[in-house]
Amino acid sequence: MTRTFDDRVADVRRLLGAGRRVYEDRARLAPEIAMSTGLTVEGVLLGFSCLEGDATDADLRSLVSAAGEAERVHVVLSANVFVAPLRALAIARAASAIVTVRPSSRDPTLVRELARSASDDAIAVVSDRDVAGVDRGEIHVYGREETLRAVRGRARPGVVVRGHGPGLGVAVVTSAADTAGAAEAIAADVVPFDQRGCLSPRAVIVEGSEGRGATLAAAIHERLEQWHERVPRGELSDSEREAATRWRETVRFAGRVWAGAGHAVGLAPWSGAALVPPPGRHVLVTTVPSVDATTAVFAAMAGHVVVVGTDDPARVAGMAPHGARVAPLGRMQHPPLDGPVDRRRF
Amino acid sequence: MDRDRRSASEALHERARAMVRAYARRASPSESFDALAVDLARFQAAHVPGYARLCAARGVDPGALVRAGEAPAVPTDAFKVARVFCFEDGDATITFRTSGTTVGARGRHAMRDVRTYDAAALASGRAMLFRDLSAPVPVLVVGPPESEAPDSSLAHMCGLFASALGTVEPIERTFFVRGGTLMVDELRARVAGLPRQAPAVVLATSFALVHLADALGADVLPLPAGSRVMQTGGFKGRSREVAAPDLRRTVARMFAIEETRVVSEYGMTELSSQLWEATLVDERARAGVYVEPPWARVVPVDPDGLAPVADGEIGIARVEDLANVDSAFAVLAQDRVRRVPGGIELLGRLPGAPPRGCSIAVDEMIGGAGTLP
Repeated sequence: MTRTFDDRVADVRRLLGAGRRVYEDRARLAPEIAMSTGLTVEGVLLGFSCLEGDATDADLRSLVSAAGEAERVHVVLSANVFVAPLRALAIARAASAIVTVRPSSRDPTLVRELARSASDDAIAVVSDRDVAGVDRGEIHVYGREETLRAVRGRARPGVVVRGHGPGLGVAVVTSAADTAGAAEAIAADVVPFDQRGCLSPRAVIVEGSEGRGATLAAAIHERLEQWHERVPRGELSDSEREAATRWRETVRFAGRVWAGAGHAVGLAPWSGAALVPPPGRHVLVTTVPSVDATTAVFAAMAGHVVVVGTDDPARVAGMAPHGARVAPLGRMQHPPLDGPVDRRRF
Repeated sequence: MDRDRRSASEALHERARAMVRAYARRASPSESFDALAVDLARFQAAHVPGYARLCAARGVDPGALVRAGEAPAVPTDAFKVARVFCFEDGDATITFRTSGTTVGARGRHAMRDVRTYDAAALASGRAMLFRDLSAPVPVLVVGPPESEAPDSSLAHMCGLFASALGTVEPIERTFFVRGGTLMVDELRARVAGLPRQAPAVVLATSFALVHLADALGADVLPLPAGSRVMQTGGFKGRSREVAAPDLRRTVARMFAIEETRVVSEYGMTELSSQLWEATLVDERARAGVYVEPPWARVVPVDPDGLAPVADGEIGIARVEDLANVDSAFAVLAQDRVRRVPGGIELLGRLPGAPPRGCSIAVDEMIGGAGTLP
């Protein structure tokens, strides 16, 4: 049976309803998700606030338009934050009446719960499926670039692979912004998922003097200290801890670091992407004399920026890397459900 | 560079070279490791603003240092993002760069006086690879000449070995990667024409050896008796990866030599000294265990507080290199290491844990640029 455009919107809306029911059950699910993600239970509950619960008709129509149509869609979730499956399923369901999904082995909970709550015969969760077995339609893969390459390499001719790779967020604070307010909003964007999401800001570009950069860095440090009291950072893996130490020492050499129990904020002149911190509530603040100079900073990481958060979206939009969303500070983790989070092409 | 700074630098270089000369003469070191190390740390803190900041941030007063281990180590990433040298840009006589192609992602190690690097490299090379060779021998480099890779410290070292320890030969008979091409047939002919009564020395990167092995298939390039092969570096995505024991076996077969005559060297662009396996000079030595010269130390440190770990424990390599006079005498490398009887085991970088999200790793963003020479 052919679905109309409105049918497809309705199918996505039903999935949103399932998302709301899962959200209501978040207290029960949080310990299991904390175990698999390394977040604290408080961190999981905060992460749930980023689960899409509703969307405007216009957003959903945009999502359905962007999804296109496919005979069937197989979704591979390899590396993603734990709330990402809802949007991934929404896009797949918009595109097709037959959806299979292979959740991340590390993080299967939300997919399982969404599928159960949706009671939608069109969605089947599979524990393992070689993508070479997909003989028609599309594969939507969410993961690292090497995973995307591997899936493309295994996919059969004629099967369309839509890749959604890793990335990062960048915040831009113009000279018009109040630094205290900007710090508050940036910290709120940093903390969810302990910064392991592609929407998490890891670099902050500040228009103004080094002194203004230091004021903002210190303010972000204070806000992250407060967040740590309410939502402690989870465990970092050995490689994450090592990367954090190396980054901290490097920024101490290049500039200055404000370190807390569960975070660090660095201030240094921009000198390349090697200064971008690893995830785990680490933020690099760097200054530019004018927002116009932001493009030079973006150049080293342009293809990887998924979202730019700013106090002045209208002014910054023209400078944001191609494909990056532009969002108000404090809302970087809450893009409207109007299509993939990531608008870059892989 | 002002006169006082140059004078202080030259005095430190001379002290470092005195340690190297003492080693070459098999004499006792001219001074203690710590004495020179703390003077280097003070000099570098005085003239490298980043190092002064790092010391201050870690609560270290360079003037109060007593032992090398008290001085903070400079992460290799700092060489990518900041100046790590004690002189003006115009005073650099040579600048080595880490591998990688991404703009802004390559580390640079500038040197004002390369004589200390050269002395250290030659002394180590003589001791660990050329020890029993009293006369110049044919040196074959499966790599480019320095003229084609002017910012490669490895190309510099290989060229140095060839010119200082090898027989006099034209470039075409010494370097077998030219114009980016591995000259397999030229190498084959050169090996076939080697005098059989004198040993030869082959210097190669691991990835070049893999390419050579792939090109040769089952063919063998038999080296004269007593020959040896130095292999170094990782694969950097430039060849398929081969486990170290397998590559050693392949190289030994390819050149018809014993496996103990395949010697690995470990160096980094950010350092002026190298570590060597001792299998050629010590029959008790194990492959995979590297020996430091007296003017360098590897200290495994824990990845959180950067404190030394116990012998036998795995830590991150903090390399103290007294030949790094004008840059950073203590460097925090990315490799994991373990102190074992006879030396240091190199365990490579910590494998990345399975990703817990969709954030991009910095290495992924900058193309995995490495620090190998």
